Amino acid sequence: MPKLKSLEELRTLRESLQRDIKARTETSTTITVGMGTCGISAGAREVMHAILAELEARNIDAHVTTVGCIGMCSREPLVDIQQGDEPRVTYGNVTTAMVSRIIEEHLIGGAVVDEWVVGRVP
Amino acid sequence: MMQQYRADVLVCGCPACTKAGASEVRSAFEEEIKRRGLADEIRVIETGSRGFCFMGPIVIVQPEGILYCQVQSADVPELVEETLVKGRIVERLTYKEPATHRAVPYYKDIPFYGKQMRVVLRNCGLINPQSIEEYIAVGGYQALGKALTSMTPDEVIEEVKNSGLRGRGGAGFPTGLKWGFARSAPGDVKYVVANGNEGDPGSFTDRSLMEADPHSVLEGVIICAYAIGAQEGYLYVCNEFPLALENLGLAVEQAREYGLLGQDILGSGFDFDVKISRGGGAFVCGEETAALNSIEGRIGEPRSRPPYPAQSGLWGKPTNVNNVKTLAIIPQIISNGAEWYSSIGTEKSKGTKLFALAGAINNTGLVEVPMGISLRELIYELGGGIPGGKQLKAVMIGGPSGGCVPAQHIDVLVDYDELAKIGSMMGSGEMVVMDEDTCMVDIARYFLNFLSDESCGRCTTCREGIRRMIQILTDISEGRGKESDLDLLESMGRIIKETSLCGLGQTAPNPVLSGLRYFRDEYEAHIREHKCPAGICKGLVRAKCTNACPAEVDVPSYVALVAQGRYADALEVHRRRNPFALACGRVCPAFCEDKCRRGEMDQPVAIRQIKRFMADHELSVPWTPRQLEEAKTEKVAVIGSGPAGLTAALRLAQRGYPVTVFESLPVAGGMMAVGIPEYRLPHDVLNVEIENIKRAGVEIKLNTALGKDFTLDDLLDRDGYKAVILAIGAHKSRELRIKGEEMEGVYHGTQFLRDIALGKAPDLTGKRVAVVGGGDVAIDAVRSAWRLGASEVHLVYRRSRPDMPARDDEVEAAETEGVQFHLLTNPSRVIGNGKVTGVELLRQELGEFDASGRRRPSPIPGSEFTLDVDVLIPAIGQEPDLAWMNGDSGIETGRGSTFAVSEGLATTRRGVFAAGDAVLGPATVIWAVAQGNQVADEVDHYLRTGHVEKLVVRPGYEVIEQCFDMEQYYKAVRPQARELAIEGRRGNFDEVELPLDERTIQEECKRCIRCDLEWLETMKLEFVPAAKRVLVQPVQPGLTEEETT
Repeated sequence: MPKLKSLEELRTLRESLQRDIKARTETSTTITVGMGTCGISAGAREVMHAILAELEARNIDAHVTTVGCIGMCSREPLVDIQQGDEPRVTYGNVTTAMVSRIIEEHLIGGAVVDEWVVGRVP
Repeated sequence: MMQQYRADVLVCGCPACTKAGASEVRSAFEEEIKRRGLADEIRVIETGSRGFCFMGPIVIVQPEGILYCQVQSADVPELVEETLVKGRIVERLTYKEPATHRAVPYYKDIPFYGKQMRVVLRNCGLINPQSIEEYIAVGGYQALGKALTSMTPDEVIEEVKNSGLRGRGGAGFPTGLKWGFARSAPGDVKYVVANGNEGDPGSFTDRSLMEADPHSVLEGVIICAYAIGAQEGYLYVCNEFPLALENLGLAVEQAREYGLLGQDILGSGFDFDVKISRGGGAFVCGEETAALNSIEGRIGEPRSRPPYPAQSGLWGKPTNVNNVKTLAIIPQIISNGAEWYSSIGTEKSKGTKLFALAGAINNTGLVEVPMGISLRELIYELGGGIPGGKQLKAVMIGGPSGGCVPAQHIDVLVDYDELAKIGSMMGSGEMVVMDEDTCMVDIARYFLNFLSDESCGRCTTCREGIRRMIQILTDISEGRGKESDLDLLESMGRIIKETSLCGLGQTAPNPVLSGLRYFRDEYEAHIREHKCPAGICKGLVRAKCTNACPAEVDVPSYVALVAQGRYADALEVHRRRNPFALACGRVCPAFCEDKCRRGEMDQPVAIRQIKRFMADHELSVPWTPRQLEEAKTEKVAVIGSGPAGLTAALRLAQRGYPVTVFESLPVAGGMMAVGIPEYRLPHDVLNVEIENIKRAGVEIKLNTALGKDFTLDDLLDRDGYKAVILAIGAHKSRELRIKGEEMEGVYHGTQFLRDIALGKAPDLTGKRVAVVGGGDVAIDAVRSAWRLGASEVHLVYRRSRPDMPARDDEVEAAETEGVQFHLLTNPSRVIGNGKVTGVELLRQELGEFDASGRRRPSPIPGSEFTLDVDVLIPAIGQEPDLAWMNGDSGIETGRGSTFAVSEGLATTRRGVFAAGDAVLGPATVIWAVAQGNQVADEVDHYLRTGHVEKLVVRPGYEVIEQCFDMEQYYKAVRPQARELAIEGRRGNFDEVELPLDERTIQEECKRCIRCDLEWLETMKLEFVPAAKRVLVQPVQPGLTEEETT
């Protein structure tokens, strides 16, 4: 990474990063797994592995990333799904057993699994 | 040809609804529709989920769009008949929106998120903390750029000062001012320290922030360094936070790669870099000077101040220490401006505050709210309230240092000064919620143990004083407390506060001092009565069930005896504390079951049902209570033959006193006879109990009323009674005070129930009845009215369903019996011409909280509507009837017209005592029995010694052997209650609850996990064969030594 030598360079970098992120979200799916200590102790690592395994098995190309604690620790593991322009949907109390249905119905089928949803980020 | 269907029945086929029976419902619809020849007109279609399926099976009828929930196949014929054929809605299956819970899809609509204002937490949970690119993409380091290129260090400090930001580490010192001190300190070498050493129990705000958004902290650090002129910074983080350390480490590396740390940052000529210093995890190193010592590699002990770190910090150089949360706010202040920040919050507490919600709260987690929000909102709206519907007791804010905020102060605003006013403190954000099952003595001991471990030991008073306080608290919790202990704790607390060098010592006594300030009676109960009301202190709580029983009935023993089929022995154990096993087996609210430890595993043991079976089994065996002492001559008069009066009479008669009970009504039993309807407690069953008491030698004079047939003076002066017990209960109904209340057709609740009990029930056939109220009397009234043939029965209550004081199972039974509920509604006037023809009702909305902790209802103007009724029954509360008192009886009364009594249940007139509802206000049978026991002890003591003192009687207990293997009952399930079917209840007052059989009851007894045996082992005790009496210092101020002769 070249060092930023001025505020201007920082601004330019920011704009290009924003463009990249926009391009990515518009054309693909991002799955976000809460990986703060609360998530980890609730089993988020196992859920993440299950998600990666499921994506591999179904040959789905999605961007999987991790974030820290969003605050709703009592509902961890939390898994967010963002598809294109759709609002980002958060699933709560996710277990490894729930992963395949979320991938199948939501990711592939486009239908949010209402009973497991915590909320939507507009 | 297109088939023209006139209606569609949509049955949801999603997995949740299917699991709840949706396919059976669908088949039932198809069959019923076919059977009624409607198959050509009505279609049944299976649909997917609409997201409502926690209330499934869901059925929607189109084209009307009627939504039915929790539909079962048994409901289908009714639905087809009523809705599809007659076009009527079946109310009971429609969705009733509960006052609190809805399916809310958007974050902003979820109270947990919608009420937050995420400034510090702006990026947490949204960006990848291990990616500086994501941080930059959302605007990170722009503030740094702005500060470095377009602001001078002094301008930065001005901005921070003007924002009003106060340190978020706990002490709340104005940040801008602090930075100013460091800037103006002489010297070229200066340091910035970010304190991420979080040690409070229950606190995770710093850790969570460092894990989720480490760059925000780093950016704040760099800006601070620029402002004060520092070249080096330290990020001080406990070694116990591996993820925070990892993410901060990565953040620092990545920032260096981009040139945001190091030489000539962003071409500004400013050089700065940081090191990460790992702390040993000492709580005391949250204090800035202790942290500095730790960074220097020395023992984490605080330093004397002055000099303050701004003058002499790390290695003697000017140093600015701030909590990581404080630093994370800085970039936002620089970007958005001081005015923006100071517009949030209150006058003296600007901005937002993070809270780590923990303890007895539904939504445990991290929230950020604007200053000025109330604790109540935090706990009940963001926090989702207390699990299990338990009562809030207190909240610990600011960690052990903050002391506790009791439930009555829950409307306090989150503000540095407001919290200090009630003796608490803001702290770093930890908030531990405590419910009714918390013992304040135990909690104080828990926190003091923590503080004792964490005390660095430098100051003698902190080091030795906390240890000594723990010893005293331990003594208190094990029943060895002395009266003088409380004053000793307070004075020690003051000394420790005033002589400690750092915040740990200065605030360590707070858990005890605030406990004594707000919960002194709980400490006193431990000391004076050897009781732990919350049921926690092992030494004082043999079993939670018996601890929760107001009369301390020996539950574990009688349940163990019933398990063995020894019903007579079990009943004898029960009667030692409560002679009304038949009645209580039917009507007691069973506080024992609420606290049953088995209930923490699966379901509480069905103690009341066991009691009922045991009592019913011995119904035909007359009980002649044993005489326990020799006959005496002092006569005692008891006014009132309710549970309090009869229990007191029984106990005194057993001690040999001649007792006469005066009852104004034609029947004995008090509220048990004339308040509780027969479908809950049949009169013939109650009379068995009353006959038992008469066999002890108690004389009951019916139809003899105080004030009419005799006066107190008659009893004490003329008739030679040496003591009188007023157990007159609370039989007078409170008035609605609305126009028309005097019309014919208005019956007050207690009058209505009494008339029914005395065989004078009004004829309600075909009448429309409305009852006003939400307590047990109101529910008794509606259920009775239904049985008396009313064509419509309505219940009008001004608050919402969860606020109703009546028991849940009674309210459900009323619903099953077809009572129509009008909640959030209050009557404004009675309509009619001398006779009731209707009642005008006003809708209510819930506003602010009142003293009872419920929201106050206020009328919605213009929302009047009329309910046509023939009978109106107000049942909004009861009071003792004091009409017989003519002002000169010398007896004072208090709130709600109850008698003012000393702790020994003595009234202000010598020789006159009181017990039961007349003292407590409307309560329960078991409370009256407990008071009956207590007042009998007091009267006996008074008659022997002439003194009135509060006695403490520790009841004796049995130890019943365990005759079965508890492991076999690990998975056993509590039996369902059995009830008379609806058809069987109509038009009669037959008992609704049906008994369970012997085998079921004995098996249920074996689900008891015998906490009492565990207690004996823990306490290494031998069992106490008889009640042990302990005399406590006199507490009645009116009686001095001279007056007692």
